[in-house]
Amino acid sequence: MKSLKQSKSRKIIVYLFLVLASIIMLIPFIWMLSASIKATQEVFSVPFRLIPAIPRWINYKDIWTTIPLLTFIGNTTFLTIVVTILQLLTSSFAAYAFAKLEFKHRNKLFLMYIATIAMPWQVYMVPQFIMMRAMGLNNKLTAIICLQAFSAFGVFMMKQFYTGIPNDLCEAARIDGMSEYRIWWKIMLPLSKPALSTLTIFTFVNTWNDYLGPLIYLKSESKKTVQLGLKMFIGQFSAEYGLIMAGSVITLIPVVVVFLLLQKNFVEGVASTGIKG
Amino acid sequence: MRKRISKVASLLLTVVLVAGMVAGCGASKSSDPGYGSGTTTIKWSIWDEKTTPYWSQLADAYMAKHPDVKVELTDLGSADYSTVLSTELSGNGSEFDVVTIKDVPGYATLIAKGVLEPLDDRIKTANIDLAKYNGSTDQLKADGKLYELPFRSDFWLLYYNKDIFDKAGVAYPTNDMTLEQYDTLARKVSKTGFGNDQIYGAHYHSWRSAVQLFGVLDGKHSIIDGNYDWTKQYYDMVLKEQKDGICRTYVDVTASNLHYSGAFSEGNTATMNMGTWFIGTLIANVANGKYDKALCGNWGVVKYPHPSGVAAGTTLGQVTSLAIPTSSKNKDAAWDFVKFVSGEEGADVVAKSGNFPAIMNDNIASQIASIAGFPTDDASKKALLTTKVYLEAPYDKNIAQINTILDTYHKDIMNGDISVDAGIAKMNKEVSAVLGK
Amino acid sequence: MSDKVTSVAKQPVKRGLSRNTKRNIVAYSFIAPNFIGFAIFTLIPIIFSFFLGFFKWNGNGTPIFVGVSNFTKMFGDTFFKASFINTIMYCIGTVPLTLIAALGLAMLLNKKIKGRGLFRTIAFFPYVASLVAVTAVWTMIFHPSKGPVNAILHYVFNVQTLPNWFGKDLIMFTMVLFSVWRFMGYYMIIYLAGLQGISGELYEAAKLDGAGKWNQFRYITWPQLSSTTFFVMVMLTISSFKVYDVAIMLAGGSDGRLGTSSSVLVYYIYQKAFQEWDLGYSSAIAMVLFALVLLITLVQFRGQTKKEKE
Repeated sequence: MKSLKQSKSRKIIVYLFLVLASIIMLIPFIWMLSASIKATQEVFSVPFRLIPAIPRWINYKDIWTTIPLLTFIGNTTFLTIVVTILQLLTSSFAAYAFAKLEFKHRNKLFLMYIATIAMPWQVYMVPQFIMMRAMGLNNKLTAIICLQAFSAFGVFMMKQFYTGIPNDLCEAARIDGMSEYRIWWKIMLPLSKPALSTLTIFTFVNTWNDYLGPLIYLKSESKKTVQLGLKMFIGQFSAEYGLIMAGSVITLIPVVVVFLLLQKNFVEGVASTGIKG
Repeated sequence: MRKRISKVASLLLTVVLVAGMVAGCGASKSSDPGYGSGTTTIKWSIWDEKTTPYWSQLADAYMAKHPDVKVELTDLGSADYSTVLSTELSGNGSEFDVVTIKDVPGYATLIAKGVLEPLDDRIKTANIDLAKYNGSTDQLKADGKLYELPFRSDFWLLYYNKDIFDKAGVAYPTNDMTLEQYDTLARKVSKTGFGNDQIYGAHYHSWRSAVQLFGVLDGKHSIIDGNYDWTKQYYDMVLKEQKDGICRTYVDVTASNLHYSGAFSEGNTATMNMGTWFIGTLIANVANGKYDKALCGNWGVVKYPHPSGVAAGTTLGQVTSLAIPTSSKNKDAAWDFVKFVSGEEGADVVAKSGNFPAIMNDNIASQIASIAGFPTDDASKKALLTTKVYLEAPYDKNIAQINTILDTYHKDIMNGDISVDAGIAKMNKEVSAVLGK
Repeated sequence: MSDKVTSVAKQPVKRGLSRNTKRNIVAYSFIAPNFIGFAIFTLIPIIFSFFLGFFKWNGNGTPIFVGVSNFTKMFGDTFFKASFINTIMYCIGTVPLTLIAALGLAMLLNKKIKGRGLFRTIAFFPYVASLVAVTAVWTMIFHPSKGPVNAILHYVFNVQTLPNWFGKDLIMFTMVLFSVWRFMGYYMIIYLAGLQGISGELYEAAKLDGAGKWNQFRYITWPQLSSTTFFVMVMLTISSFKVYDVAIMLAGGSDGRLGTSSSVLVYYIYQKAFQEWDLGYSSAIAMVLFALVLLITLVQFRGQTKKEKE
């Protein structure tokens, strides 16, 4: 019953709002781009100049030669991929039990999972380090994998999504004689594409941007990650902010690409198929 | 029931793990295989390996003299160096033989953790005369014991922009100025204006040391006193300069994240109190064009301004030192390396790289002054000779807490959130509480 | 509900494992991969830290038992009290605002608009952009004397005493604003995923019944999103209590130190742990934080399990 004019003007308002909001969201990114081609002392100078008088494009070359950025990107990519896969598998596996199976102490265990997220990592970092070193994990990439791949956060999130999937599906499958494992594999996993995409994005960003973990555990240069590399531009007495920003721009690209690819999964109707069937 | 059992089990496991860790911590790892038997590797923790040449230069120089020793550098990054090192030395099982100590709070932390070797006996056996360190080692003794030997020492000078003084027709600062003379000079050469016209007579970096520590130069006070009334006149001096536009305000400096190098290289800062570490940066960046030669290329240094009655050449300083962790398995080899680096041979290498070794004498000062890019005037050369160096932070077991308290109220005072008197009163109260007074 | 029926029906004494035990084993087998890794690498150090609250330890040597003195010390600690209050205020401000913003954005970007993929990515940007960059921009925009915000206030709205957004009175407010802006894209994604789970048929039926947009939201969208909202609320609460980076970057200045006006609990914990190496005291503070979060989470959890049983 809406008139064509009304819906068109509403559309325009919506677009206007989105464009305005986008500009606000993008300002820091524009700042990053602008800073990445400046000399260090220009980066914070007031008044702010969008494009410096002499753009230092050489910053984008220097970041590869001043520090072994390629090695760092390689290490970070390896860590991120391994952690993400492990997280997806183990979290969704565990979440299925919490969401769809009845078992003893389910709620208490789940509550404990959530509760541990509340502990700031800084608190138990030292005992954890001493323990991991005793296990021989100091200065090993495996250490980071062990720290990041088994998080309570992933379990919590997947469980909440699985709860939203109607029980009838699982019940029907059980009556058909499917084992719980097959139900998870054949029914839950495919239905949770949006949730899995979300977890992938978060795990990816988290591991990619992790600073404290690699700082404490990775000492040899050949093992260090991107965030440690960027910090190398901050010396004892000065910081090369132009290079830091150029590095940040480059390392932002994989994250954006992953997000763009995965957000396609946030499409209506994916989860609603197969309920009444 | 099963869950309860597994809960108890995990508790037991934890207790066992804790006991294991604790027992491991207590046990001493003393076995020193005796060095000289085959290649010994010395693991050395450092920072900024790529941007600071003397680390590898020192290692190479030592290895050239001792072909049976390999010095392995591990860069822990300078941003969080103390945190990483302290964590690494927690528990038992670190593999470092020589650790570089970045600052006194880090030093105090490691002493409190009991992970550093006292060096006094070794120093005595090797007949090292600590006087060559210009008094800094006296301020680093903990309970009468010395746990580190300095190899690099920086001290504070007054940098000035000769072009600005020339333009204003004002005589350059001299190597013997009282603080009153310094303040007068800064006011004389300032120009309040807009944008590019403005000339700042002075510039204070956001560190507490840039303002408060003028007060320790008379030798009667230090930051571990517990009473800070002696800082009042310097806070007053700087805040008044801020108000009169003689220097940038603290609020502006912190809000725009302005680094002191930027302030000086912009070409509108007439004088700036800062440490000798800036000399290397200045020389390099003027040479490679990062700083505009026309704006700041014509610079000089003079000795730090001092309170009247105090000898010229009295200044603030900080040291970078080497220490040996108790967990090292090659302590003798490590000590030999430490001796080398903090001795004359190491000082030579450090000076050649344009940095200031802990041992400072005429010879070394001339070496540094003759580096290309260092100002050629005689006064700048003489500025490098110090009379007495007071450490910005002398050793105290509570130095970390004291620093935190003082930094907090320094910030509040300079931000204008609290009056100078109220801020000092708080400092007095809280530091005294920490010191147990 | 169906489970109550089946458990009553199960009576016979079978040989071998009972159905209940079998069920438990299956369930535990699902949890095991994640739990084992989690227990070894995370849970054990956390439990150790809990006990550490009753000890004095600096990372080396033997921990010394000190009973509850760490906790009694907290009550007289002004810096702790300031950090505590700041953190709570921050939480109260951030949680509802972020939730509303994220939900709004998600609903908006769930519609079929052209370029929504692009808009979604842009909404995510504040979260992934370098914190240094984001802070620098924020600092410039809200600069007390040179920033556009205060310029507008002065010239357009004729405000005479311009607010200092980073001063001790407004800094917490600025932090909340900053957080909402930085994290709404993050939680938008969670809501987007949650929205996918709502069957389109429900909306069709509602439209046929003549329900308007607001009623559709109230009776379909909001209830259907309840498990997602629970997740968002709990995560927002927990991460607000754990705030650290935002505070350091906005209020920490060049030396990364916070004063009483902007200090937060995790900052204080970090100071005690890594500056002063008073690991016992920092653990004790963490326990207080943990207890508080647990309490709030429990309340939300109770409310949520009630809903999920329906």
